[in-house]
Amino acid sequence: MLDVTIDKPTSIGDEFTQEQWYAIHRIIEKYSDKKGALIPVLEEVQEITGYLPEEIQRYISREMKIPLSRIYGVVTFYSFFTMKPRGKHQIRICLGTACHVRGSQRVVHELEDLLHIKPGECTCDRQFSLETVRCLGACGVAPVMVVDEHLHKQVKSEKVEAILNTYNRE
Amino acid sequence: MPLTHDLVNTVDKLDSIKRRIGELRDTFTYQAMVCSGTPCQAADSLALKNIIEEYIKLYHLEDKVSVSECGCMGFCAVGPVMIVNPEGIFYQKLTREDIKEIVKSHFMNDTPVEKFMHRDESTGTLYRYVKDVPFLSSQKLIVLKNSGYMNPENIEDYIYRDGYRAAYMALADKSTAEIIGEVKASGLRGRGGGGFPTGLKWEFCAASKSDEKYVLCNADEGDPGAFMDRSILESDPHSVIEGMIIAARAIGAKQGYVYCRAEYPLALKRLQKAIDQAEAYGFLGKNIFNTYFDFHLEIYKGAGAFVCGEETALMQSIEGKRGTPRPRPPFPAVSGLWGKPTVLNNVETYSNIPNIVLNGGDEYAKIGTDSAKGTKVFALSGDIKNFGLVEVPMGTPIGKVIFDIGGGIPDGNRFKAVQLGGPSGGCLPAEHLNTLIDYDAIIKAGAIMGSGGMVVMDEHTCMVDIARYFMEFCQDESCGKCTPCRIGTRRMLEILQRICRGEGQDGDIELLEDLAKTIGDSALCGLGQTAPNPVLSTLRYFRKEYEDHIYRKTCTAAVCRDMFVSTCQHACPVGMDIPSYIALVKAHRLEDAYKVLLRTNPFPSICGRVCDHVCETKCRRAQMDQAVAIKNLKRFITDNAVRPAVHAVPITRKEKIGVVGAGASGLAAALELRKRGYAVTVYEEMPEPGGMMRYGIPDYRLPHRILKGEIDDIRKAGVEIKTRTKIGRDITINELLDTYDYLYFAIGAQQSAKLDIRGESSRGVYGAVELLRQINSGKKTKLGKHVSVIGGGNSAIDSARSAMRMGAETVTVYYRRERQDLPALKEEVNEAEEEGVRFEFLVAPSKIIAKNHHVVGLELQRMKLGSFDSSGRKKPVPIDDETFTVATDTVIAAIGQKAVYDDPAWMDMIGVKKDWVPVDRHMKTCHGRIWAGGDVVSGPGMVIGAVRAGRDAAIAIDNKIRADNNEPDWQAPVEEEIYIPVELDEKADQITREEMPELSISERRNSYHEVELGYTQKAALREAGRCLRCDVDKLEKSNK
Repeated sequence: MLDVTIDKPTSIGDEFTQEQWYAIHRIIEKYSDKKGALIPVLEEVQEITGYLPEEIQRYISREMKIPLSRIYGVVTFYSFFTMKPRGKHQIRICLGTACHVRGSQRVVHELEDLLHIKPGECTCDRQFSLETVRCLGACGVAPVMVVDEHLHKQVKSEKVEAILNTYNRE
Repeated sequence: MPLTHDLVNTVDKLDSIKRRIGELRDTFTYQAMVCSGTPCQAADSLALKNIIEEYIKLYHLEDKVSVSECGCMGFCAVGPVMIVNPEGIFYQKLTREDIKEIVKSHFMNDTPVEKFMHRDESTGTLYRYVKDVPFLSSQKLIVLKNSGYMNPENIEDYIYRDGYRAAYMALADKSTAEIIGEVKASGLRGRGGGGFPTGLKWEFCAASKSDEKYVLCNADEGDPGAFMDRSILESDPHSVIEGMIIAARAIGAKQGYVYCRAEYPLALKRLQKAIDQAEAYGFLGKNIFNTYFDFHLEIYKGAGAFVCGEETALMQSIEGKRGTPRPRPPFPAVSGLWGKPTVLNNVETYSNIPNIVLNGGDEYAKIGTDSAKGTKVFALSGDIKNFGLVEVPMGTPIGKVIFDIGGGIPDGNRFKAVQLGGPSGGCLPAEHLNTLIDYDAIIKAGAIMGSGGMVVMDEHTCMVDIARYFMEFCQDESCGKCTPCRIGTRRMLEILQRICRGEGQDGDIELLEDLAKTIGDSALCGLGQTAPNPVLSTLRYFRKEYEDHIYRKTCTAAVCRDMFVSTCQHACPVGMDIPSYIALVKAHRLEDAYKVLLRTNPFPSICGRVCDHVCETKCRRAQMDQAVAIKNLKRFITDNAVRPAVHAVPITRKEKIGVVGAGASGLAAALELRKRGYAVTVYEEMPEPGGMMRYGIPDYRLPHRILKGEIDDIRKAGVEIKTRTKIGRDITINELLDTYDYLYFAIGAQQSAKLDIRGESSRGVYGAVELLRQINSGKKTKLGKHVSVIGGGNSAIDSARSAMRMGAETVTVYYRRERQDLPALKEEVNEAEEEGVRFEFLVAPSKIIAKNHHVVGLELQRMKLGSFDSSGRKKPVPIDDETFTVATDTVIAAIGQKAVYDDPAWMDMIGVKKDWVPVDRHMKTCHGRIWAGGDVVSGPGMVIGAVRAGRDAAIAIDNKIRADNNEPDWQAPVEEEIYIPVELDEKADQITREEMPELSISERRNSYHEVELGYTQKAALREAGRCLRCDVDKLEKSNK
């Protein structure tokens, strides 16, 4: 089993598994002698946990000996980081110029209607979370909608429901 | 497992790899390269590659064909694409089903499959080879030269393409001064947008003394609409690494970082792989090429903050802090990352470096303009046919990129603007299509070169909405450090948001301009200083749209959805309640539908026939299949419902109004004024009222009885119309001014413009307007047997079709531009062709040949399309020595119309300029008691536009009278409430648009019977069922 004891904060309950905590610990260790490692650490931790709640930030602060205020400052500054949980499937709608011109706002409206959430929120069953994002650089096939890592091109609002259904079935 | 490989530390070893790869390639008859850029991957290209490999195994072709991924080819519009080398056969839009055929036919039987090759949609020309495909052949590839020829994940492919040779030269053969000298000689300027000379930057940094220095690559491509850097990293990552090695050597750095967005997973993956390979081969690490030069490179993943594209913010971010900029100086070349001298360049800049070192700076400087050298990569997107990645020499006109390479605007829409430079840039209108791609020229035009995002926008784009969009972007991305940017952009955004909601106020434009200047002058970094640019450029070129939003509460593009109920209704110049009357057709309530029509338009049965139906161009249904046939449904109502009874409106006002001209505009104004209680008299020179509707449009399009019915209703409402009364002959202007308190002047444009060529005074030469007037007056008119019509507008088509009906044997329309540029309505052109009218394009008349003062022939000049004019179309210019003569006995000039001021006293009184009457925002002329509108103000236009002008003028006159009397505004009488049902068919999406039944061709000849026959009840019901009822949301709200 684990060869280190991890001083896991108690307040968070059982949201994260022992394996996850161990992975976080390893990430911090990996970057221990690197300058300016905070952002890569946060990126990798978020990959493990899905989001960066206060408890995780406190843990990183203690382990990396960086003031919590600075960590919070960085987490809230960069749009990549989130303090809210994300759904099993993350839907990202590009609001770049090309997508905007070709109707991405209508796709957002359609998703809001179908999922009953606003951008930045997560469905009650934690299946989907919805985000609007800045240009993804796939302007050629605008408007684009990315679900997890899969890019759906030239999405029309009429097609949205069918796309969601392919993820529901899983 | 780290990669291991023999160190490649001599030029001989580079050569031997190149030789080996070359020999290996030669063993294959075909090398299939499947594009694996992000867009092609999204279109399934990787699965295609696997299927190809499976078939190759199946047919035992492993020794004959090699299959590999290649970088983005740029032609994303036709993806997924595959190139088969060595010949360079170009396959496009491949699907899984196509693969077997290609493998069998091309790879097995050596017969390339033509049907999967590129074909020009309009001409049908086939392009077999990649070098011939117009999209690619008109480019100049330096940065993208390896795309399609190498696997980006294979370093040896790069070495085969002379990769790392420049790095060898720089490290082994050149001094730092020599490297910098080459880069300076090349004239290369920063491709990230700023355009600072790269060589100079390196020189500054090289001169800074420090034990440590850094080389940074900015791959935080954040501009919306920009994807050049992503593509370069995905398709040729080694070129960037090599450029950075050379830069490191030039300034003496040992460590480099590539700061790349986390949103680019494929680019990150390929770059990491490339770095690993470069390390294994010894191009990164210690003692590179045995020169005792060390250089290490790492990727730093950005976490999503646009401001980190600013150099000082980027460095803060690498240091693990919030990415906020700091004031400069000190410049990074002196004090950058961790306080050490640092060079930061963009991906594309580095990618240019190996080429410059390899071939010499002077060679590179031969391409481009005086102030901008080399090539520039653009990401072409938005409303454009061939979207994708394009590399062109500096100095190429912007319009060439959009139209010749990009293929122009899809769906027959018109170009409106191109956005360059993202949130720091601007929108350039059609009049700037000839602007050259050059840092200074673009700034002069009001945008910036930027990193290369080129977003094309068509007529359906609202420029105020675009400005709002960019301001929202900057507001959101403002780091918050300095007040002008943090608060100023918020205030600008609030103003733009309210304008887009239809709540704009007088003074908003000036306030925006004021804020823009202050923010531009006082913000800390580039993001804030340039944030107002999209607002300033749209204000500069599209100010009228802002004014329309603020003063007329109109969004012409029908985008700002808070301002309207449905796009069709908003697009209609008079705001006809389209969804309601269509719903009523569906509910079999035609009488109610007719009442709805009459609420906004006194001429619905005319507009059901001769309208240009802008409403249909904005119909949402068009995004699914075709627009709802709104015009035809309107006609169906007026053809089939009993016309609602009209009662005279009592006169309640003492003021009297005179109207000059009983065309659509004059009559609409008269009716609106009458409704508001004024006594109105309309003066008309011709025997019957109706203006162009009566004397311009032929009977087969608009039967006179239809027109008469609608004008009779206007009379019944109480409007007095005095025909056969000419101002200046039967009554003087001063008499009018004595009799009436206010005048509305709407005389139209009643004279054809002259061709201005020799022989024009010969017999047999007509002006289209005059000819149509003669025919519509019932005067006997005899045309010749061979009729030539000059022009391409509606009156050209009307006179051509009339000539056909008068027994001409041939009728030919000569137009100086191309078919797609014809200003006439498409359906009219189609019907004319059905009736036998011929069209010749790209010709202009140069001489009319006469014998005994009668036309016998027409000399025509062939034209070609040159540079762009202010409308965004290419200007026709004569081709030298290419004239030809046709025999003809009748020439009809239909190249334009102008107003005729019979009484010259008008001209001074209302300040006529260049034939037209200038008016203010309230349609008032410079004379305090005369308003004007319709064709005489705006030039020849459609009925519906004239109606709008008339109504606007009537309202303005009424408002003026009431304001002068300190009376409140007019209150419209309460209208009868008409319940609008909401009923949507489940299968509405499957119904196709109903065609309009037409008179057979043989029946059309020699007769003026109406050509379009009108929908049957069944057809109308089906068509009405196609409406998607975009109004439902708002309807429900208002019902609550």
